[in-house]
Amino acid sequence: MQLVGFPVVAGIVLLAFVSNAKKSAHEKLNNPIRMASFAFSLVLFGYTTAMFFNSFADITTDGIAFNNYTFHDSYEWFPALGIHWTVGLDALSFPMVWLTTFLLPVTIIATWHEKNGATYFPTLLLMGGALIGVFVSLDLFMFYVFWELTLIPMFFLILNWGGKDRKYASQKFFIYTFTASVVMLLGLVTLYLMQPDQIGTGGKYGTMTGRTFDIPTLVESATMANKDGWFMGESMQKVLFVMLMLGFLVKLPAVPFHTWLPDAHVQAPTGGSMLLAGVMLKMGAYGMFRLPLSMFPHALQHFQLALMIFGMVSLVWGAIVCLGQTNLKKMVAYSSVSHMGVILIGIATMQPMGWAAALFMMFAHGIISPMLFAVCGAFKHHYHSMEIGAMRGMAKHSPWLATSMMFAWMASLGLPLLAGFVAELMMLIALWYFIDLEGWSVLWMIGPALVLALTAAYYLWSMQRTIFEGGDDTQPPASLHGDPVPDISNEEKIAMLILAAFTILFGVMPWIGLDMMDDYCRTFFEHMISNGIFKGGA
Amino acid sequence: MSETQAFSNEFYSAMLPEMLLFAGLIALILIPNLGKGTFRIPGTQLRLPWFLGGQRYGLTSNPRLPAWIATITLAGAFAAVLDSLNGGVDSVLVVSSDSDGAKQLLMVNGFSRVFELIFFGALALASFASMNRLKVEGTGGKLTEDQLFNNRRQADFYILMLTCGLGMSVVALAQDLFVLFIGLELASFSTYVLVAFMKESKTGSEAGMKYFIVGSVASGVGLYGLSMLYLWSGSLQFDALALAFAETGTEPLPLIGIGFVLVGFGFKVSAAPFHFAAPDAYAGASSPVAGVLATASKAMGMVGLIRMLLIVAAPESSDGSAVWLIAIGALAALTMTWGNIAALGSTNPKRMLAYSSVAHAGYMLAGLTAIGAWTWDPSFAGQEGEAALLVMTALMFHLLVLVAFKLGAFLVLSILENDGDSSRLSSLGGLAKREPLLAFAMFIFMISLAGVPPMAGFLSKLMVIMGIVNVGVGSGINSFGDLHWVWWLALLMVLNSAISVFYYLRIAVVMFFEAPEKGREGPLPTGWQVRASIFICVVATILLGVFGDSVLEMCRDAAESLTTKW
Repeated sequence: MQLVGFPVVAGIVLLAFVSNAKKSAHEKLNNPIRMASFAFSLVLFGYTTAMFFNSFADITTDGIAFNNYTFHDSYEWFPALGIHWTVGLDALSFPMVWLTTFLLPVTIIATWHEKNGATYFPTLLLMGGALIGVFVSLDLFMFYVFWELTLIPMFFLILNWGGKDRKYASQKFFIYTFTASVVMLLGLVTLYLMQPDQIGTGGKYGTMTGRTFDIPTLVESATMANKDGWFMGESMQKVLFVMLMLGFLVKLPAVPFHTWLPDAHVQAPTGGSMLLAGVMLKMGAYGMFRLPLSMFPHALQHFQLALMIFGMVSLVWGAIVCLGQTNLKKMVAYSSVSHMGVILIGIATMQPMGWAAALFMMFAHGIISPMLFAVCGAFKHHYHSMEIGAMRGMAKHSPWLATSMMFAWMASLGLPLLAGFVAELMMLIALWYFIDLEGWSVLWMIGPALVLALTAAYYLWSMQRTIFEGGDDTQPPASLHGDPVPDISNEEKIAMLILAAFTILFGVMPWIGLDMMDDYCRTFFEHMISNGIFKGGA
Repeated sequence: MSETQAFSNEFYSAMLPEMLLFAGLIALILIPNLGKGTFRIPGTQLRLPWFLGGQRYGLTSNPRLPAWIATITLAGAFAAVLDSLNGGVDSVLVVSSDSDGAKQLLMVNGFSRVFELIFFGALALASFASMNRLKVEGTGGKLTEDQLFNNRRQADFYILMLTCGLGMSVVALAQDLFVLFIGLELASFSTYVLVAFMKESKTGSEAGMKYFIVGSVASGVGLYGLSMLYLWSGSLQFDALALAFAETGTEPLPLIGIGFVLVGFGFKVSAAPFHFAAPDAYAGASSPVAGVLATASKAMGMVGLIRMLLIVAAPESSDGSAVWLIAIGALAALTMTWGNIAALGSTNPKRMLAYSSVAHAGYMLAGLTAIGAWTWDPSFAGQEGEAALLVMTALMFHLLVLVAFKLGAFLVLSILENDGDSSRLSSLGGLAKREPLLAFAMFIFMISLAGVPPMAGFLSKLMVIMGIVNVGVGSGINSFGDLHWVWWLALLMVLNSAISVFYYLRIAVVMFFEAPEKGREGPLPTGWQVRASIFICVVATILLGVFGDSVLEMCRDAAESLTTKW
């Protein structure tokens, strides 16, 4: 509750404060507003970190495993429709919430000198608040409200601080994801109304409709119903699964629904990209785990092959397209598509380990990809160019940038001891295990194997062409017009160091986050197997 | 429910809002004419002051006065309705007894009260905002003839606003086709003149002419339909018609009659294909008037449709579902799609809003379709109409919140109209720089129209979708193939919402990121009244979206009072 309210209120207060000030005073306000936003985000970060260390309540592994929540709170909001302001954290949402609060201050540091800071930093706070709202909401209605709410600050971030084609990109971003989510909304409404009518029972149930939006209740009754057949009926479960998944697949994004992402990323400002890649994409995967995967296990089994194909295609297609990119940021954007494919494959294996891999991938990618985009932003900011072919041998001029780039690129391609490696390895093991278990063709391994090579190729290649090569004969980009080549600013250095430190931390000691995810997945599968929904195995 | 004769004491207390309007109307006619006029007793030199005509007093010659009288009257009527809604409404049935027995004329209940709330709220905001729209070109003694004329016609404008409100509330109250038609025409004629009120501009008179011709043809067709219904049943009473319809409703004559009546009301709600005059009328009328057309006038048309389709041709009168189900369903699909696609292509913000209003009419027709289908599942009938009630609640809530953001959007355009014009998308350019709060308000209205949470527009659209889906899934359905086809209307509706985002967002982009037109960089025309109205609209848009529960309950009670069959 406080987690959402705090940044949103802080953001609104700061924005109101700024809009009241005269135009000419905006410049002067940049610094105090920046400091205030930074302080707010640090408080949030401190709060969630303290949560992790059990300062406010006991986070036990059992307490946050499948359909168990900590910090579970509920307030009546629209009793007529059974809408409650229900919040809670479990092993799915807690890492994501922590990640959001972690990225907010880091993003502020990395984009310390963004223009029009007086409105920029509060918008970031609003964005953070909406994102946390998505992760903590345990009410379908609230979930959807925050889901859509994240679009508005991001729309303005792209539109206000974006690149040349920002109008096109921001509208495409908004319309694309909105279209998908209204289809999802119809799915949610149908799901809501397909529940048996409980009119007159009150409590969680709406006085007017006799149904509830409460996710824990729904998951509970879904599990009960799935035991002896399909929750909601076979064809209905399939249709609902598809409708919900459509919204999440577009957000994730999976090929072929990914075309909004490169545009949005290339035009978005650095801070926007960091949050977009770091947290907003994860909303898609998070939504899958929270709703369709928890409620429609039969349909999941039914669509397992389709999910696997979506995952494989995203994984391979994203990587192949990366090879052809000349724009660093676009390349990084497509690499996100590729990495999101890993999540889908992890889900499609239907192994506890594959799911844990997917969850950990969400987390690891959430730390690594902001660093990738911070590096791209630094290129844009200092060299005014992100064209891979436009420069050579930059390592000589700007060792800090080169080092950060090398580190981020290596982390993303899955260097051992860095966070991304853990997730990819787990996914590969789970996939292998799954193929073996189910007797699928070994040919399924070709995709991931191919992508391992492709990923290394495009990352190493782009690195070689921009920061290495050239020897003494370096070539600064023409867009600098012969000015001396600058290195990144001190603030950017700090942000890179923090991101790098956490990438190493979660690479060396993945169990910090992995333990709870693993427990979640294990309890989920145990639950499903003991209820006879999944056949035994794993 | 109590019955009372017209013009009894109970009648006056039940009709308090209408009586207030009536008093305001008389005040509007009298007060601006008060002056130092005298009357000479014939044959003598004695002059008796009788206060009418002659040189006006300072206060009564103030050209702003009519606007204030109208606004205060409408706001008073709004408050009276709100007060009577507080704690449940007692139904009062006004009858007229003659030798043939009692005839039902008007019915005051929760249903009519909520619609009165919509009418008076929209009209009050529009008259308040019009204070800045109708320019006062001078006050005091020395005025040219033109200025004097301009000041005089201010009163006409607000008189028409009040008659419009009166006519609309009669439509909501009517229990008899004849009374309904009287109210409809009173409101229609007022709006014809209001649309043409900007007669100095070419578009104004053209719009008024088009709106009048198409409107009167639609009314004429509707009237023809009413006469056929009378011919068939021998009565104009809703309850008698409903009884007759239940027995012999599938005969051709009543069906054709109902069809003709639908044309008349279809024009009022601007349902395709009867919407052709709407974009022209909205674009030519002054923006507050266009706002009234898009909210109050549309709500009036919906009342007519509800009466005709749900009371007279009630779904129970035929097996399973209503006779008109397919027709209205097709009309809904056509209307929402046509409205949205036409809005995509229009570059005039007012035409765009007009088409978006067509699209919203389509959503509401889809809701009506769902009500017509609610008996399709036999197990549903046992639900005592909960399903139909939910849709009806959603429709009323939607019409209610539409006043906040649709009218609000027109009011923002009204300020731009004062600044020059608002007929091009580029006239919104740079609004964020010229007046940031106004741009913010417009942005809120746009995303509310698009149905983005947490605005009121989202909640109301969600409610309509929910109502339709609720009917679509029936009870105990667990196969996708068993869904009733109205479920697909809900799908079409969400897809249409997605299309609509494009043109709503375009407005936001122009406001925030395009330079103002040449010569329009300066500050916007002043006027606190219109800004106050916009402020009320913004607050209502957000509050009804976030804390709309009590209003929802109110709409539910109102929907329950529509008919006892639910």
